[in-house]
Amino acid sequence: MKPLVRLALFIVPLGLIIAAVPQNKTKPYKLTANQLLAEVNTRTQYIAPETVADMMLKKDPTLQLIDVRSQDEFEKFNLTGSINIPITDLLSDKYADVLDQDTKMNIFYSHGTIQANEAWMITRQLGYKNNYVLEGGLNYWFEAILNPQKPASTSSDEEFAKYDFRKSAGQALGGGAVAAQPMISAPVSGPVPPIQGAPKKKKAAGGC
Amino acid sequence: MDIISENTNFLLAFIIGIGFGFVLEQSGFSSSRKLAGIFYGYDTVVLKVFFTAAITAMLGLLFFSLFGWVDLNLVYVNPTYLYSAIAGGVIMGVGFIMGGYCPGTSFCGASIGKIDALVFIGGLFIGVMIFGAGYSLWDQLYMAKFLGSPKVSETLGMSDGFFALLLILAALGMFWVAELAEKKFPSEEY
Repeated sequence: MKPLVRLALFIVPLGLIIAAVPQNKTKPYKLTANQLLAEVNTRTQYIAPETVADMMLKKDPTLQLIDVRSQDEFEKFNLTGSINIPITDLLSDKYADVLDQDTKMNIFYSHGTIQANEAWMITRQLGYKNNYVLEGGLNYWFEAILNPQKPASTSSDEEFAKYDFRKSAGQALGGGAVAAQPMISAPVSGPVPPIQGAPKKKKAAGGC
Repeated sequence: MDIISENTNFLLAFIIGIGFGFVLEQSGFSSSRKLAGIFYGYDTVVLKVFFTAAITAMLGLLFFSLFGWVDLNLVYVNPTYLYSAIAGGVIMGVGFIMGGYCPGTSFCGASIGKIDALVFIGGLFIGVMIFGAGYSLWDQLYMAKFLGSPKVSETLGMSDGFFALLLILAALGMFWVAELAEKKFPSEEY
């Protein structure tokens, strides 16, 4: 048999198979179940509302709040500067650049933390970095930032410092507190995690 | 995190490069007559080898992707600057006929001491210097008509697999024509 015929007998069937089967368009999960469980256990995804409020007040350009509730709910109320990515559209191509990037710190929020956590888990599984969850969600945000309760008079100084920060932050961010207070910032807000670089596609050179 | 460090990467590239050069030399690609033969029709091995290699790699990537072994999204696709690709293709093609080498095979030839390959490499460096020194003259053309990293299959609106089948059929057609040409323009012994 001629080499050309032999080659054809080998590659044409392969071509037919690959033309007939559907393309693999699945986005593979990058983390193993154990790795994800470890992250869930250490609660690394949570960012405290005080930290978020502090970043908002400082107009931190790396902060990107992402509302994962529906568009209706987003339009009724949202945190200043947030964008809306309904969790139903999370995997839509138009949001891929927002979710998979290495310049901003994305913080998901919903009423509680369930939807935000769902969004975080899915994006984390896809290997995306720099995505976080607002601890306690909007419910806790209202409670802690926009309407803080004065601690009992026997509480520690730390509690009072936290309260003062919450009250002044709440005021600045549109809450209902009354008296103006000097801003107390850094000590009460938690550490801000560093932004992690995304893996760059390596440039390949080639040719004959 | 990278699984392979940059240094290991260079080491692997070095080993693969030596293997590639060895196979090129053993297949006779260090002879400028063999390479020029494709333009005169008496020897079309170059076409067959490189196109078969491309098809093998294409089928490998598509099947590996199908089995979930390779994430095609992570495979680097060279960005397309249309005009410079055309201009570069013409320059490369003319150089190929005139010199009887392409860049890789010229180094292959030089390594076994071919003088024409050494001259070709000299020309290659002169070309690189002209390009670099005169960059401001042609950077307009060089960067013009940027298309991103499109795939032919996407541009034509067909699946990768179907385009692969068309390419296989086109390749077989070309190989057949190439063999006819080899019969029609037999080489003198060299």
